[in-house]
Amino acid sequence: MIEKVQRLLLEQGADDVIVSHVESSMNHLKFVNNKIVKTASETLSTIDIFVAKDKRLAFTTIKDPSEDKIKKIVDNVMGFIQKLEQNEGYNGIAKGPFTYPTIEEGYDKKIEDLDIVDMVQKGIMAAQEEGALRCSGVIDTSMEEMALTNSNGVDVMDKKSEAYYSIRALVNDDASGHMTASSCMATKLDVKGASQKAGKIASMAANPIDGKEGVYDIVFDPMAFGCLLTHIGDAASIFSVESGMSFLQGKLGNSLGNFSLLDNGIYPNGLASGKFDDEGRPTQTTKIIEKGILNTYLHNTSTALRYKVTPTSNAGIIAPKPNTLVLEGKKGKVFDIERGLYVTNVWYTRFQNYAKGDFSTIPRDGIFLIENGEITRPVKNIRISDNMLDIMKNISLFGKKPVQIKSWEVDIPCVLPEVLVKNVKVTKPHA
Amino acid sequence: MDTDLANFAVYYLQKKGATYAEARMESREEQGFILKNSNPEIAGFDETTGLGIRFILNHTMGFATTNELAKDKIRDVIDRSLILANKAVPLSETISFSDAKAVNDTLKVKQKINLLNLDPSEKLKILQDLDKHVKSADTRYFSISDTLLKKYYINSDGIKLYSEIPRVKLFYFLSLTQGTNSIQRWLQKGAVSGYECLKTWNLEEELPQELKALEKNMNEGISAPKGITDVICSSEVTGIAVHESAGHPYEADRIAGREAAQAGESFIKPSMIGERIGSDVVTVVDDPTLEGSYGFYLYDDEGIKARRKTMIEKGMIKEFMHDRSTSSQMKTESNGAARACIYDVEPLVRMSNTFMLPGEHHEEELIRGVKKGIYLKSFMEWNIDDKRYNQKYVGCEAYLIENGEITRPVKAPALEITTPALYSSIDAVSNKIELFAGNCGKGEPMQGIPVLMGGPTIRLRKVSIS
Repeated sequence: MIEKVQRLLLEQGADDVIVSHVESSMNHLKFVNNKIVKTASETLSTIDIFVAKDKRLAFTTIKDPSEDKIKKIVDNVMGFIQKLEQNEGYNGIAKGPFTYPTIEEGYDKKIEDLDIVDMVQKGIMAAQEEGALRCSGVIDTSMEEMALTNSNGVDVMDKKSEAYYSIRALVNDDASGHMTASSCMATKLDVKGASQKAGKIASMAANPIDGKEGVYDIVFDPMAFGCLLTHIGDAASIFSVESGMSFLQGKLGNSLGNFSLLDNGIYPNGLASGKFDDEGRPTQTTKIIEKGILNTYLHNTSTALRYKVTPTSNAGIIAPKPNTLVLEGKKGKVFDIERGLYVTNVWYTRFQNYAKGDFSTIPRDGIFLIENGEITRPVKNIRISDNMLDIMKNISLFGKKPVQIKSWEVDIPCVLPEVLVKNVKVTKPHA
Repeated sequence: MDTDLANFAVYYLQKKGATYAEARMESREEQGFILKNSNPEIAGFDETTGLGIRFILNHTMGFATTNELAKDKIRDVIDRSLILANKAVPLSETISFSDAKAVNDTLKVKQKINLLNLDPSEKLKILQDLDKHVKSADTRYFSISDTLLKKYYINSDGIKLYSEIPRVKLFYFLSLTQGTNSIQRWLQKGAVSGYECLKTWNLEEELPQELKALEKNMNEGISAPKGITDVICSSEVTGIAVHESAGHPYEADRIAGREAAQAGESFIKPSMIGERIGSDVVTVVDDPTLEGSYGFYLYDDEGIKARRKTMIEKGMIKEFMHDRSTSSQMKTESNGAARACIYDVEPLVRMSNTFMLPGEHHEEELIRGVKKGIYLKSFMEWNIDDKRYNQKYVGCEAYLIENGEITRPVKAPALEITTPALYSSIDAVSNKIELFAGNCGKGEPMQGIPVLMGGPTIRLRKVSIS
């Protein structure tokens, strides 16, 4: 079908065409206060079409692709594109054919057969065994088949499977813990481990005291730093840089701290791993920040040609985007600090100035005081009000075991251990 | 739109033993345009149709969705969903709905400048004309999009509705730099309307004024004086505050814990109805029935007639926002707050147009009554915790007030305050209100829903600025 769409568009005078077709099915459960409150099943079929003609660019989606619909859309898109003006920065799409990588642990048919009701039940029990009184969350399983063709010789297919589990465990209104588990492989979805961790954090978080403002060394749980890392990943997109929405603007070649950040499109069992990006270029691993030095922004074919650099296989046709972000650096005993905080989760990260990196974010779920290397007591009602470049500069040590995080706030999968950041500014509200 | 397929879904579910069934068929025609630093990046259009189906089987709630609109495909996805729902019964919460009136109604919002009649080149030109007004900004990002949503809704309680809703959204982001100084600003406009809404937005006049104010703040702004002071919040800042801390905590699904794993719960509890949360000048409502408003609807996505809800009345907690499930749980009636952002997701309890009601003072009077303080005219950074108690709003365009007069621009003053402290500190509100557009996020999968938020200019006494 996608070849037909492409042929029709080229016959009508298109210069560049990318057509992709995704067929997906999903099952979903939502549970609240230890009970399932919703079950859901979904079947969707979507065709995305990108067309360039005389540097005029148009994009459309067909979500109910009948034969009649396709013919009509092809006519419409070619009529629509005539009304547009030239994008002077456009330089074309990926030129194939390519050899594609094999994704390790990227697809497992057993995902669709997972007994998600049973998994939720066992997950709730595991959290309760750690002291949780009520648990809420979701579990999703999805299967996806995709095909992509472009007018420069790309014709490729891929399959993906994914299971995602999220649990927030509560002991009372002031004491909660949150953890997610996700995997492309059925046997590697660690529902029990995530539930135990959420339950344990919730139990430890009971009876918090009001936090005090000041400057703290903070150990971020992977879930918490993952939230911040997605913003670093977004800032690495050349689209963000050009739009004034990146604190990495003008920092190529600069030292940003003592860590490395990779974009990995082929990460084994990676939720965002796949053979190709949105224009059909083979995915790869890109060292965005290597030993602290900002090496590159994320590019598609067109933006890479604009800046005379090598494409990084991160299309987004217009806005290049990260695949899986992998953060790494010197490992050690992150909790071995004299006085600081352990932040297990954050949310609502917002910027005052994207270009400068001024932002704040709110610790959520268990927050703990660390004194002389020991977690001593839970705290509440604090906010991290800092600057993203300073946070990066002050990253000092990493925990030993990286995990893959995806969550409600972490929409770009991130692989990272605990992260110790020195001298983080903490504020609190006027009561 | 083949509404018979939606009727079929409800019929099929009833035949399969569902005690309740509903189907929502949506057809959308959308266009969107992006202009970045004067360059027309890309434009697009979508024409999509799909079906969302919800049912109660053995007291368990099930949902099914597909865009493959043929009876056999619909039957397949419903069958899959029924199997899953049946399996979940032993662990399922008993779902019940409050009563709903049978109704058969049609709503078509009229347009003066029809979305479908305006040429794509004209839509792009709207952005290009605005861009000309702010060329001195270092980076400029504009987008505009429009949607004509045709929706057919039917349920097994005798509700049948059809609506046609046009919606226009415009977004801009500006970035100014001078040496090491910089300032940024974004704003969204939105309306349920044809393109005639552009006139009321008056951006040709507003944008150059805003640019000038931003330049002045960047070049001449002083650091915010820290400490306890009086603060005047413009309608824009009032709007984000009421949305975050007088809207969200009054969503009954949050209060019942149903968003715990996602957008969080609420510090407000059912037992707090009738308790004081603010001063007696504070009344906050949510009203979807405002014609032309970005959050407009007359029936919610469970077929309940929409009405104004009053969350806070003269400082007292009065009412929550409900759907049929939470209202049944809390033994009241639904007040029509169920909304789904698209056919393939379930309706949740959502805000529509949330605002504080005006008072009797002129804005100038409020400012005159401040010996030393801060005026927050617009904001950039903001956030609030997941119980809606601890919030922060940081000024973008902001000024010092000295002896009742606005004197100098102030850089990024931050108001960080608890919800009771915020609403208790308000001693006066102005007699004019203004509403601002936003897209509110909630649920998993995430649903962004169009809303307005606003109110009058308000005066806060003795709060902390940093």
